[in-house]
Amino acid sequence: MRQVLAQDRPLGEGAAVLRRAALPCLALLVVLGGCALSLATGGRSDVGLADLSGLFAGSGATLAEQTMRDIRLPRTLCAVFLGVNLGLAGLILQAVTRNALAAPGLLGINQGAALGIVLGLIVPALAGVPQSLLAVVFGLLAVAATFAISGAFSGRIESLRLILGGIAVGALGFAAVRLGYTLEDDLARQVVRWTVGDIGGVRMPEALRLGATALLGILAAFGLAQRLNLMALGQAASHGLGADPMRTLMLGAGVASVMTGVCVSVAGPIAFAGLVVPHLAKALAGADHRRLVLVTATLGAGLMAWADAGSKLWPGFSEIPVGVIVSIIGAPWFLAIVLTRRASSHG
Amino acid sequence: MADASTLQSGPGRRLRTPAVLVALTCCLLVVLALGLGLGAVRVPAATLLNTLLGLDGPRQDFIVLGSRLPRTLLGALTGAALGLSGAIIQSLLRNPLASPKIVGINSGAAFAVLLCAFLLPDAAARLTPFAAAVGGVVAGSVVWLMAGRLALDAARLTLVGIAVGFVMEAGVEFLLVTQTGPEFSAPLVWLTGSLWGRGWTHLWSVAPALGGLMALALLMSFRLDLQYLGPQRAAALGVRLGLERGMLLVIGVLLAALSVGVVGVVGFIGLMAPHIAARLVGGRHRALLPTAALVGAILCAGADVAGRALMPPIEISAGILTALLGAPFFIWLLLTEGRRPGAPR
Repeated sequence: MRQVLAQDRPLGEGAAVLRRAALPCLALLVVLGGCALSLATGGRSDVGLADLSGLFAGSGATLAEQTMRDIRLPRTLCAVFLGVNLGLAGLILQAVTRNALAAPGLLGINQGAALGIVLGLIVPALAGVPQSLLAVVFGLLAVAATFAISGAFSGRIESLRLILGGIAVGALGFAAVRLGYTLEDDLARQVVRWTVGDIGGVRMPEALRLGATALLGILAAFGLAQRLNLMALGQAASHGLGADPMRTLMLGAGVASVMTGVCVSVAGPIAFAGLVVPHLAKALAGADHRRLVLVTATLGAGLMAWADAGSKLWPGFSEIPVGVIVSIIGAPWFLAIVLTRRASSHG
Repeated sequence: MADASTLQSGPGRRLRTPAVLVALTCCLLVVLALGLGLGAVRVPAATLLNTLLGLDGPRQDFIVLGSRLPRTLLGALTGAALGLSGAIIQSLLRNPLASPKIVGINSGAAFAVLLCAFLLPDAAARLTPFAAAVGGVVAGSVVWLMAGRLALDAARLTLVGIAVGFVMEAGVEFLLVTQTGPEFSAPLVWLTGSLWGRGWTHLWSVAPALGGLMALALLMSFRLDLQYLGPQRAAALGVRLGLERGMLLVIGVLLAALSVGVVGVVGFIGLMAPHIAARLVGGRHRALLPTAALVGAILCAGADVAGRALMPPIEISAGILTALLGAPFFIWLLLTEGRRPGAPR
């Protein structure tokens, strides 16, 4: 297996080394730049990066420092971790379904998780259950339904049915969400703002929850990387090399659902981040998932940090939620993938 | 959509069609009557009859004639238009999973209407049907052009339609969060597909156009049988289908887009109605189209009535109910149609 992948790299030795060194530096710069911009902008113009130093000095006395600590920093961290989680979830889903169009939002996980949260808010019996848990459980149910429709459990995923099934499951979940907020009037505004992916009100505990999930997710993705590589060779080859593709599918769907569910419980259903980031990563770093995991995580963090900065910098009377920015980038991207895909790759 | 065997249906089917149409019409009348009687204020049947005959007081007049009658009629009209549109689009594309929603028409119309509402707030009410029509046709044309050779690759067309729909939805989200202030909720109710607050002016703004288009579609229905054979076989029979095909597609798109313009995105009716109709009367389009229109009218008006009657005074948007019904239906179709030989993958 290792030899096979090594031969996959068409580049010469020198170019490969250069590429290996250049890529992490570039990616890191992108992430840091996005974070800096995101941290430096916000409602109060007198709060800037300089106030970050107060954080490490442990003072936190001035208003500016408090703003940085309690509002800016959690939000930026949240955006970064959202990017890591959603990007990796997309990477895993694309690998296990062997479909370039797979992403948490497109397979119904986002909408399922949203339904779980709304149920938690309006069903009294579920009131004590943590929102993230409900989101994860319902996200899992949704992706299981989509997989069942696409024929994944009988061994062969049909591309179009996977996408259509995801859309149908998503439509069902979202109709139920809307029904939920029709019934509960107070919820409506809160839920509406939340369904477009708004992270303006996030505080430190949520950001840390996302961070913990991201860390576990990266570890899990590393653990799965070899299996994901085998999936790329095809089901039969995967079987022959000792990795049960069905088990890979289940594990992958589980990890992706947990990561997505926690994201949805914090920031609402952000669509398309899970689609775009893995594509960018594959364009930069090739097809080996052992490398792709870190590249995807970095790029996801970078993209979301920039999107968050963009959402704050938008010239208007109100911010654009970061989810909308991602949709504006991601939806045309989806169209572009559909248009450039060869008609023969529907398998 | 019906497969080839039901298309060549025997005389048994032909006898059944009028009976089905009559039964559906009765069903629609019942739904309309329920639509007038049910809601936050229940109007008993006797009062209802008196009001319609002009024998009752102004209070019932206001509720029944001023509010419920136009709204229910509008529901039936747009439902019929969506059903017809779905039947036409499914036949022309020869794709049982196609619907105005899937091929991006609904989102295109919604985007155009919102754009119009925010750019020209003063003229918006008058321009809405026009904007919806333009948006639907543009989105439909974009899908058509991008998919290329569409009749030959149903999967590609469907995916392109979905993708264009996503782009339009992203645009809708963008408009919603940037352009609306506190009055966030009115466009939102409209987007979920609701007949709430629709009155006579709304009905008259689209009724002539929808009526004309529906009549045209029904007149051309027998040509759809030829279209359904596909371009190659039709050409072999000596029929040129290009112009008619274009006309029918435009009619289908306009029907859906105009409906979206006035009642919002009431999804899945265009998908469900033709399938239900095909089960009832088979695939010959002269029977299928009117049946699909009636089924669509019943579904849409029925969803509106149910939304009002289930838990008054809360109104559940018709679009929510049709989605709750339509999404499982779509899943069922995916599970059954996909297994059939010759179905699009």
